[in-house]
Formats: sequence, structure tokens, C-alpha cells
Amino acid sequence: MYDFFEAFEQLSWVQFIGGHRFLYPALSVLHYFTIFWVVGTIALVNLRVLGLAGRSQTATEWTEQLAPWTWTAMAICLVTGFLEFAPGAGEFILSGMFLGKMAATLVAVVLAVVVHRNVRKWDQAPAIPGSAKVLAAACLVVWLGAILLGVEVANYGFF
Amino acid sequence: MQMGDVLMAWAQWLETSPWGFPVRTSLWLYPFIQLIHFGGLSLWVGTSTAVDLRLLGLGRRRQTAAQLSEQLFAWNWIGFGIALLGGFLLFSGIATALLVNAAFQVKLLYLVPIALVWHIIVQRKARTWGQTEQIPVLARLAGLVELLLWLSVVTAAVLIPNY
Repeated sequence: MYDFFEAFEQLSWVQFIGGHRFLYPALSVLHYFTIFWVVGTIALVNLRVLGLAGRSQTATEWTEQLAPWTWTAMAICLVTGFLEFAPGAGEFILSGMFLGKMAATLVAVVLAVVVHRNVRKWDQAPAIPGSAKVLAAACLVVWLGAILLGVEVANYGFF
Repeated sequence: MQMGDVLMAWAQWLETSPWGFPVRTSLWLYPFIQLIHFGGLSLWVGTSTAVDLRLLGLGRRRQTAAQLSEQLFAWNWIGFGIALLGGFLLFSGIATALLVNAAFQVKLLYLVPIALVWHIIVQRKARTWGQTEQIPVLARLAGLVELLLWLSVVTAAVLIPNY
């Protein structure tokens, strides 16, 4: 599999991105910015479930406003992340830190989807269930973990 | 003694301070402080840009831009506080290097103050601009400018390792 990613690195458009003076930092900027966007909006939804934000609206209304930004930003984040990954694909794929970051991000996204999907149901109960709050808190923690691992990938490159 | 010397002396002191030294020397603490900085920025960017985009006429119309701005106000500034704390701790850890870093200087001395002032203006004006769906062109422009300003702050930050 390493060979596949090493071969992938050799593609001309991938090499173009990796060596480009402005394009690569630009991808980095967009990746960071959309990460903040994604995590921020998801955090706000989780905080609503926890009863700490947006209390003048129902959790459903709150989520409905923020969700479009979450998924739009996430799409951009994925694309920019992939384009940053591509020029060093072979090395990244061997990096435990990178793989850890991707795993954490995957779990975090799944948790976010679960929270988003259940908000309507939770609103219908007399009060937001305790289990929902646990889920929201877990979602927050996993996203923070994903950021932490992402930061380490940025700090060390690939190792 | 020149201003630069005073600042450098202060930076050196920060690096040996009870909070700066651990950030500087601990392998696990530095990324954790980065997490705090980025976590705060997530709240800050999420809440600020939601209003900017709403002023630009994008996003769900369930609430007016003014209402949205009001609802996000608290967490906007909580996010800022967290980001500021994280940023100060990061700075304390590597103050002497950052002080002479061109990208950092541009970021902290010019871009952040400008973006911050702009943000406060937009946030206050959102109350009147965003009361209806007839959002003035000036308001849309202001929202766009805020987005661009924070993007430029992140750009400067991303370029810090290059200088």
C-alpha cells in the first residue's frame, strides 16, 4: 500500500501542488480556517444540547442554522486536507500520528452526525435526556482530540 | 536602552516564567496549548463568520442577522478569551523567536488589531443592519471584509514557520 501512495506522489499535478510557493500555504490556510469553522459550529450544537448555548431557541432550530456551515466547511476541509496530504502521501500513510488523527477525525464526524440526527428527537422529550448530554460531551472531547493530533502532525510533519 | 531591547528582555523573561518555561520545554504541553488556542479560535471563527455569512445573505433565514449575532455573542467572546489565553501561553514559550519573526509581527501588530476592531464594528452594527432581510450593501461588504481579514490573520500565522 505504501508503494501505491509513493506512486501517487509522483503524479505531475501532485508534484505541482507540493512545490508551489503559494498554493500549498493557501491550502493550509483554508484547511485551518475550515477546521475552525467545522469545530466551532459543531461545538455550538453540542453546547446547545448541553444547555450552555442558544437557549432561546430549540436545539433543532439552533442546529438547523449551524449545520449547513458545518458540512460545507467540512467538504472544503476534506479537499484541502487531501491536497496537502497528496505530495507527502507515502510518508503520511506510515505516520502513526497522521493515522491517529484520521481515525479520531472519523470518530468525531460520526459522533457529530449522530448528534445532528438525534436533535429533533431529543427536543421532543420534556427535557434533553442525560444520555444526549453525554453524547454531546463525548463528541466535543473527540473533536478536541482530533485537533490535538492534527496539531502534532503539523508540528512534526510525518514521522 | 531601545524599545527593541526592552521587548527582547521582556521576551526572555517570559520564556523563563513559571508558565513560559513549561510550554517551552515540555513535549506534551506545547501541543496542548496549541489545542487551547485553536479550540478558542474555533468558537471565535465559527460565531464570527456565521454572522458575516448571514449578513452576506447566506444561511438559513430562520432568524435575522441581528438576532443571530446576539445569540452567538457570549460564545464569540468566550472563544476570544480562550484563544487569547492560548496565544499568550504559546508566545510565552517562544517569545524571543516570535518577536523577530516577520510573519508574527505582521499578524499581531497589524492584522489582529485591525480585524478585531473591524469585528467589533460589524458586531455592533449588525444590530441595525441585520434587523430585516433588506441588508444594506455596506453591511454585506463589511461582512465580507471581516471574513477576508480573519483569513489574512490565519495566513500570517501559517507563514510564521517560514520566517
